[in-house]
Amino acid sequence: MTYHWKSMLISGLIVAGLAVLPIVFNLGSNINNLLILMFVYVALAQSFNVIGGMALQIHMGIAAFFGTSAFITHVLWQHGIPIYLAIPVGTMASMALSVVIGLPTLRLRGMYFAIGTLALAETLRIVVSNVWPLTIYMPVSFSVNFTFPPRYYSSLAVAVFSCLVIAAIRNSKLGLALVSMGDDQDAAQVTGVNLFKYKVTALVISSMLAGLSGGVYCYFRVNINPSYLFVPLWSFEPIVATAIGGMGSLVGPVIGSFILVILSDIFALVLGEAHFIIFGILFILVVLYYPYGLMGLFHKIRLLVSRPAFRRAVAER
Amino acid sequence: MEAVFQILTYGIMVGSLYALIGMGFSLIFSVMKYVNIAQGTFIMLGGYACFFLFKYLKIDPYISIPAVMIIMSLIGMALYKFLFSRLMDLPVGLRLNNSMLITFGLIWVLDNLVTLLWTSDVRSVTTSYTGEVINLAGVRLSYMGMAGVVLAVVFITALHLLLTRTYFGKAVRAATQDAEAAGLSGINVHRTFLISCGIGIALAGVAGVVVAVGYYISPSGGLAWLLVAMVVVVLAGEQNVNWVFPAGLLVGLVEAVSVFVTGASYREVVSLLLFITVLVFKPEGLFAKRSRGV
Repeated sequence: MTYHWKSMLISGLIVAGLAVLPIVFNLGSNINNLLILMFVYVALAQSFNVIGGMALQIHMGIAAFFGTSAFITHVLWQHGIPIYLAIPVGTMASMALSVVIGLPTLRLRGMYFAIGTLALAETLRIVVSNVWPLTIYMPVSFSVNFTFPPRYYSSLAVAVFSCLVIAAIRNSKLGLALVSMGDDQDAAQVTGVNLFKYKVTALVISSMLAGLSGGVYCYFRVNINPSYLFVPLWSFEPIVATAIGGMGSLVGPVIGSFILVILSDIFALVLGEAHFIIFGILFILVVLYYPYGLMGLFHKIRLLVSRPAFRRAVAER
Repeated sequence: MEAVFQILTYGIMVGSLYALIGMGFSLIFSVMKYVNIAQGTFIMLGGYACFFLFKYLKIDPYISIPAVMIIMSLIGMALYKFLFSRLMDLPVGLRLNNSMLITFGLIWVLDNLVTLLWTSDVRSVTTSYTGEVINLAGVRLSYMGMAGVVLAVVFITALHLLLTRTYFGKAVRAATQDAEAAGLSGINVHRTFLISCGIGIALAGVAGVVVAVGYYISPSGGLAWLLVAMVVVVLAGEQNVNWVFPAGLLVGLVEAVSVFVTGASYREVVSLLLFITVLVFKPEGLFAKRSRGV
């Protein structure tokens, strides 16, 4: 894996385009909401991608880390601490939480990690909804001062940062270790990869990304219902986005979250509650028949269409 | 003294339900290496079957158990036929991962389907004898709780006998140890797995009846029961169907004590702490040493 100037140029242009977009056009609040939500989802999907896509450790509790960070950010912000300090503190809290659940479960193989994270998220949701059942409203001044540009740019920054982190990991020893682990844990261990160390590192990075997106989400929503931050939806949709886009790839989760946010907006208007059913079925079908998602499909099509590219792909391996 | 007995009986009543719930999960997991994350949702489906049989056909919930079991075992077989059997050829690790992902997706499909069909109302089955208790020397025993204990003992004993005393049980144990070798020696592995998946989901249906009668059912209520199943299975150890019942009782007793000490809203925290503690100190399960396989 090397840096390709072409793909770097394209992604740079897309980011620049997204950065200039609100300056050039007057986006309505609808499009602003959608885009910000999409950026949050990109960070969440990349958060799942680190541990679930690359290392194939199925993480079912993104909601726990997302919600913890969002909630702590919210509490700090409410008590007058500026948001640019509150978000890092919330993120660090969710990183600490990930160590608590990661150390006992990641030593073991099999289902323990998935169960542990799912149990953590559910437990937090139940406790938080018992203790804070109602929406916590910010003082009125917060709602009066609400403007889109800072929220837009902070969430865009988090999304771009998450993609950069994934790109950096893919080009590092950590990424190599994770991918080898995803291919075959035994073979990786035999060749001297310290599985436990890399798994914990990946989990901490993953929860950092989830925490950042949680903080940005809290900044974006202002008034939040604490129990809503922990609903399993926040664990499920990143997995769906990553699976649709392509597990373990850099661009896949971005495409996946784009599709997820746009489609769910359209479907929710037309179908209401039923759109979750469609996503669930789509997700199951993707896992069964296209384990590498859309990126795998693109790759296959490219191989079929052009022989030179096929030769180059073989040569690169 | 009475308080101690009250806690003890509450723990046994709750614990036997937990054991029943853990049983179905553990059976599917230990036989086929599929983690059925949707087990709790199937419990809810069983509860709905019981609820509608009670509401429209006026069938007593405990009499409706065979019908619920038949419905749920058909669902379980469909689950195996359409989803799980397609993962059969994968290596064990990938099979585990993909079965978790698929059943996690299934939770979404089923939850929202149930919400769409029957709204997200919280329901429960209320019979003429709901809430009746007998007073035994100051200890109050509810009929519902005792029926739950009896059901759990009956079904777990029946499953144990099925697995150890019948030809089918032998086939299940053989297929568990080595599916390929079992197939070579003339066992129809796919049929064995199909039936055990049916049994696992049927057990979820029985648990669903107990839940619908003693607790409540709602579309998204399944995850809480799934947590219970997972804690019980981790406590019993991955492969030990035999030790699920003691593990369930233990979780029930711990929960009863914790409800007495801290109040009911923190019982999930206690089971999570139990889960983490067991994983730290005895990750192979509390009863692992004395196991004899399935």
